[in-house]
Amino acid sequence: MDSTGPMGQVLSSRVAPLLENFLQGSVLDTSKDVLIHRLRGLCDNAENQPEIFHDHEIVFIMQGNPNQQPMYFHVRHSLIHPESWHVRYLGVAEVGDKNKLTLIRHCVDAGASSNVVDFLNEMGFKIDYEFIAKGYFFHKGRMKVTVSKLYKILQPGSTDQVEPLSQSHLVELSVVAPRVQEQIGEDMKNFAEQLKPLVLLEKIDHKRLQQSLESR
Amino acid sequence: MGVVCVYPYPVPEEKSGQQVVDTIQKQLELLGAHKSGNFFVDCESYQSNLQTATQQRLLHLFHNSEQPATCFSVLDNGMCLVSDLLFEVLILKLAEKKSGKDSYYQQRKGFKVESKGQRYELGDFIIKVGSVIVASNFRGILIEVEYSPCVIPSECWNLMKEFIQSFMGNIAENPPAHIKSKMDTVYTPEDTIQQYLEHFNNFRKATSASVPATPNR
Repeated sequence: MDSTGPMGQVLSSRVAPLLENFLQGSVLDTSKDVLIHRLRGLCDNAENQPEIFHDHEIVFIMQGNPNQQPMYFHVRHSLIHPESWHVRYLGVAEVGDKNKLTLIRHCVDAGASSNVVDFLNEMGFKIDYEFIAKGYFFHKGRMKVTVSKLYKILQPGSTDQVEPLSQSHLVELSVVAPRVQEQIGEDMKNFAEQLKPLVLLEKIDHKRLQQSLESR
Repeated sequence: MGVVCVYPYPVPEEKSGQQVVDTIQKQLELLGAHKSGNFFVDCESYQSNLQTATQQRLLHLFHNSEQPATCFSVLDNGMCLVSDLLFEVLILKLAEKKSGKDSYYQQRKGFKVESKGQRYELGDFIIKVGSVIVASNFRGILIEVEYSPCVIPSECWNLMKEFIQSFMGNIAENPPAHIKSKMDTVYTPEDTIQQYLEHFNNFRKATSASVPATPNR
């Protein structure tokens, strides 16, 4: 393996090459269509029907002794294109200070062959949780917007028997870039402004969210 | 992508590896093959570091210059995951020691094996003459021959055999062991990796078993 290419640099510096900037929000099911309409107008390819997705996501965890940090891998399997499997590593989202306009986390994406679930099991991973995400996908330049409805799987292994997790849709705006760039935050902030008041896209502090859930 | 056969080529004691490589290459050029760049197949190995698991796992991570955007991960039970190159970063994440925490997988030092050399094309055949290097020492020669128009081994084996024997002699009397079991199935790049894994393991064993070279090789 040559150590001069971009891959070589990635490997020698031992860091994930990509950072995901993202904002999250939610919209009630009753207002979803208005939001989709607005997004169709704002995003690229307005003349086409919005792209849809229907994915089964399985989150794997590797856990060892207390001196090993748990590691999560997200496997996505498209139910529309069943031959497509995808593994994703996501780091902890950093909220940062006020100057950071978006949440930032490490993210590594890789397409994989269909035996990825068995392979991860053999590697020592265990299934942590799974869900179904169904929704719409838009892009504007390098910005990606997804509006997705999350479903609980009632019977493990059966992706047909599902139940909605809530009465709203999750809205995510994200940009994946090789390094921190302030311009991205600006662009995303401006775009989020245009969606107000239909949906408020914000830096959701995941840690605080978890704490408030636990204290409930 | 067609059917690929990989064979080790013996290096006589009185000759150096480079001399043998030169002889094979000269022979190929006489047959009319033309050079078409360099190639490499490499393999790094990772050992699992999980106390909860019943068994230690060994994971081999392969690259093949013929599929430059892909990496192949093979577990010691033979299971092979074919994925984008970035999957390697995920493995490195598992092998990373962060803020005093232990890693889940550990790279095996001095275990890197690589076969690299000249790539030739001759009509529908692609021939690769690889020098095998284990921990930066020359260990032997692997010759890879690919017949590109066909993906079912049983349909083209006789043709391949005749071609391989024309410059390598009787080494190719039988198909490689890995292919033998799946002569009538569609050949995939994963099968090439499985063949290399078998040979690489043999070279590693030979390296750790005998320091003085055995005379009958």
